[in-house]
Amino acid sequence: MAKEMVAMLLAGGQGSRLYALTQNLAKPAVPFGGKYRIIDFPLSNCVNSGIDTVGILTQYQPVVLNEYIGNGQPWDLDRLYGGVHVLPPYQKASGSDWFKGTANAIYQHISFIERYDPEYVIILSGDQICKQDYSDFLRFHKEKEAEFSVAVMEVPWDDASRFGLMVTDENDRITEFQEKPKNPKSNLASMGIYIFNWDILKKYLIEDEADPNSENDFGKNIIPNLLRDNRKMYAYHFDGYWKDVGTIGSLWEANMEVLDPENSGIDLFDEDWKIYSRNSGMTGHRIAPCAVVEDSMITDGCDVKGIVKHSILFAGATVEEGAVVEDAVVMGGTTIKTGAVVKHCIIAENVVVGENAIVGEIPAEGGIGNVAHVGSNVTIGANAKIGPKAMVYKDVKEGEEQC
Amino acid sequence: MLKSITNNEALGIIFPNSYDGLVPELVTERLMASIPFASRYRLCDFLISGMARAGIDNISLIARENYQSLMDHLGSGREWDLARKKGGLNIIPPFAQKNVKVYNGRVEALESIKTFLVSQKEKYVVMADTNFAANIDFHALLDAHRKSGADITAVYRKQEIPDKFKKPLESSQDLYYSFDLDGNRVKQLFVNSRRDGEVNFSMNIYVIERELLIRLIDEAFVLGFTSFERDVIAPQIDMLDVQGYCFDGYVAYIHDMKSYFDENMKLLQEENLEGLFGPGQIYTKIRDDNPTRYIKGAKVSNIMAADGCVIEGEVENSILFRGVKVKKGAKVKNCVLMQDTVIGENACVEYVITDKNVMITEGKSLMGTDSFQVYVSKKQIV
Repeated sequence: MAKEMVAMLLAGGQGSRLYALTQNLAKPAVPFGGKYRIIDFPLSNCVNSGIDTVGILTQYQPVVLNEYIGNGQPWDLDRLYGGVHVLPPYQKASGSDWFKGTANAIYQHISFIERYDPEYVIILSGDQICKQDYSDFLRFHKEKEAEFSVAVMEVPWDDASRFGLMVTDENDRITEFQEKPKNPKSNLASMGIYIFNWDILKKYLIEDEADPNSENDFGKNIIPNLLRDNRKMYAYHFDGYWKDVGTIGSLWEANMEVLDPENSGIDLFDEDWKIYSRNSGMTGHRIAPCAVVEDSMITDGCDVKGIVKHSILFAGATVEEGAVVEDAVVMGGTTIKTGAVVKHCIIAENVVVGENAIVGEIPAEGGIGNVAHVGSNVTIGANAKIGPKAMVYKDVKEGEEQC
Repeated sequence: MLKSITNNEALGIIFPNSYDGLVPELVTERLMASIPFASRYRLCDFLISGMARAGIDNISLIARENYQSLMDHLGSGREWDLARKKGGLNIIPPFAQKNVKVYNGRVEALESIKTFLVSQKEKYVVMADTNFAANIDFHALLDAHRKSGADITAVYRKQEIPDKFKKPLESSQDLYYSFDLDGNRVKQLFVNSRRDGEVNFSMNIYVIERELLIRLIDEAFVLGFTSFERDVIAPQIDMLDVQGYCFDGYVAYIHDMKSYFDENMKLLQEENLEGLFGPGQIYTKIRDDNPTRYIKGAKVSNIMAADGCVIEGEVENSILFRGVKVKKGAKVKNCVLMQDTVIGENACVEYVITDKNVMITEGKSLMGTDSFQVYVSKKQIV
């Protein structure tokens, strides 16, 4: 029995620009939005779009990610035939290879895709926050009788040179591809989400693998090769919320946007397009009589006795009496002790911010400001001061200052 | 957790309809076991989670009526880790035959599943009702039972008999029990005692060897008996070694609307919350709600809220279940709002219990008092 479309999710990214947050964690496993992890978005999109077979290509720090995915049940991806599978690079009789590039990662798992004999393969990225209906994308791909389609977003012309750009004709047919060009001819940025006809993808993957000079990358090699051969390539316009959360700043920003769904467009409260995640199973959160909570999101298991303004608290976070949390992202199991002040920053999981310690600061009016961040399982001693530019990997002693 | 690995020696039997008659409002479309409690749980979650954590992974609920909500809640039992090939979670509905007759008392209930009981492998049976929330260490209970060598271990609590019980039970046929103890041995079992002051109040949880249970039930059933305590234990109290086991942990009993309200409210106090949830995790059905959102202008103080709520108004001293919406300008004070309740703009509710999917429309005002809460039944629009 063949599947119409199989999804391959690239989740090997090291996320090196997330610094301390990805110390022990693959980027797709980074927590987001109170109870989610980044990978919940593409996985939920798959299920909501009717895709029930997903291969997740992992490589870097896969332990947490593997455990989190488990049998795929939270996303309804525990299926008898299909379902979710974590696909690491593996050892073959002739030796093992790390994934050399995005294309090589898929190449190494051609046999996985073949098991389902699909007509189409959708390539997804595990480091974006986006709610997207892939079935609509597939409909477009079929209507255009395309061999390859790429989802694109219109970006401001000023920013265009930071992206891979698709130049198209009036029928959305791609005529040229520019990777981070100095003089952009288009403002249609590739979202890194592709639909291929499987026969075409397979042919080009095999060809690419045989080329010793190739970097085995979709953007650098596969797409240019398709263009060279004048394949039927189309750009699918997506205008919903999409954010690459590859940096501390953008991750913080995306979390803050969750607090303002009316203006930001990232609505986690949409009953018709739920984002699924593995639930904490904690009891309802508590807000004490002495607490102040304003414009925030609070998750099961939290215990709030202090002041929380414009912030996101993940499952099981504790804010003690007299502590202040503002414009902050506080991940699961973290405790903010009495008198501590936590502002404009990201605090990872299971951190203890000691009494009267200060982390981060709100930039002056109009300033862009830096987002301080503290890695998971770190203890920040009492009265310590962590400046807005700090990246905290290790425990901070009592009274110590870092900036 | 290691100690539970080899513990497949007890199976659990739960009577989800016991004491339904005490809370007629709450059980019109459900049963005692599926009454929502503590912002995101149902009463049966506490027992089932406790059993599951102690390695009791063969649990049957013998339902009498109104069990659709229970089936919906429990599903395959996966959330309690009880979707097992051997054992797992079973809901046993009344057997539909020509003259459908629902069971009376534990004797008839157990007789109706006798073939099941005979075919099981576990040495012991743990039986319980669901009219309370408590975090019970069943491992310790089974240990105590084994060590004492008793025929039956009966769990009790030192407390006064609730007033509700002492009044004539008009709507309920359910009996309640208390013991006199000699050491730990139960010397006398009282049915519907009116005694004042602290007594050994039975929690109706028993541990008994499976084969002994089958024999006792067989003997009682042929004589037309119905009550396990009144008709089986009490008359044979000298012959059977019945040991008391005192549970001194936190218990929230639900025996009328007032206690339902009070027991929810008590969880706003940290030590009570810790008492109920501290001993171990309580599992429940997952709904995949987003985190709760407090929008600008919301004002909250002293509340417990589950995921999925959106708060724009003022909320004070209240328990909010999953998906409750409190709109702009609305005031909520001293309320228990069950799943998906909506309090419309500028509406005002005080001392109100709303059942699931209740809608209080714009500008309406609804007030109870601290001794009598207004209850709005499921799906009502005020």
